[in-house]
Amino acid sequence: MDAVDLELRNLTYAKVVELGHVPTAAEVAAAAGCDPEEVVAGWRGLHDQHALVLNAATAEIRMANPFSAVPTAYRVHAADRWWYANCAWDAFGICAALHVDGQIETSCPDSGEPLSIAIRGQRPDDERLLFHCLVPAARWWDDIVFT
Amino acid sequence: MNLFRSEERIEHWLGGREPGATIPVTKLSELAHAWWGDRLAPEWRPHTREQNQAILDRLDLTGEFWRLP
Repeated sequence: MDAVDLELRNLTYAKVVELGHVPTAAEVAAAAGCDPEEVVAGWRGLHDQHALVLNAATAEIRMANPFSAVPTAYRVHAADRWWYANCAWDAFGICAALHVDGQIETSCPDSGEPLSIAIRGQRPDDERLLFHCLVPAARWWDDIVFT
Repeated sequence: MNLFRSEERIEHWLGGREPGATIPVTKLSELAHAWWGDRLAPEWRPHTREQNQAILDRLDLTGEFWRLP
């Protein structure tokens, strides 16, 4: 990743934390002092490097992992805000990235039972839960949204 | 990549599909902190494949399923 890509990537993630949501190209462009089209062009390069994931149908970010730009089944309360995570791994990842305790609200995909997990000092309060990863690591990026 | 209450729930949810890998939520938390902990750091640099594989290996997430491409 070159310095230009890194600068755009770091600015994009800084805006996630500042705004409390994954930013639009216009929001990043305003901070960078450039056109939104330039931001989108840069994001396409970051997408190709798996540094973020663009929505296939638009020029907006779908995932700034571990943060999700769209509502998901994994809501996380951390650093006085609610966030959406892309999956269970990313839900813990939001607390990890922010270096704070937090609360994950989701449900069992089989039964629909609500699951509420507090994370304190990097540990979940309900240690009986299980994490299932369906796709092998070698294929995670074949379809990262499905993964 | 989901959370479940039990092995039985996972098996029912799979509905005959080939299972992936199941780990305790405590290990998931360790994994997430190792994987994402530097994500917002100003000095962040992309993890290399080797760095990410080392995280998995350190947590005993080994074998073909956890082998990165």
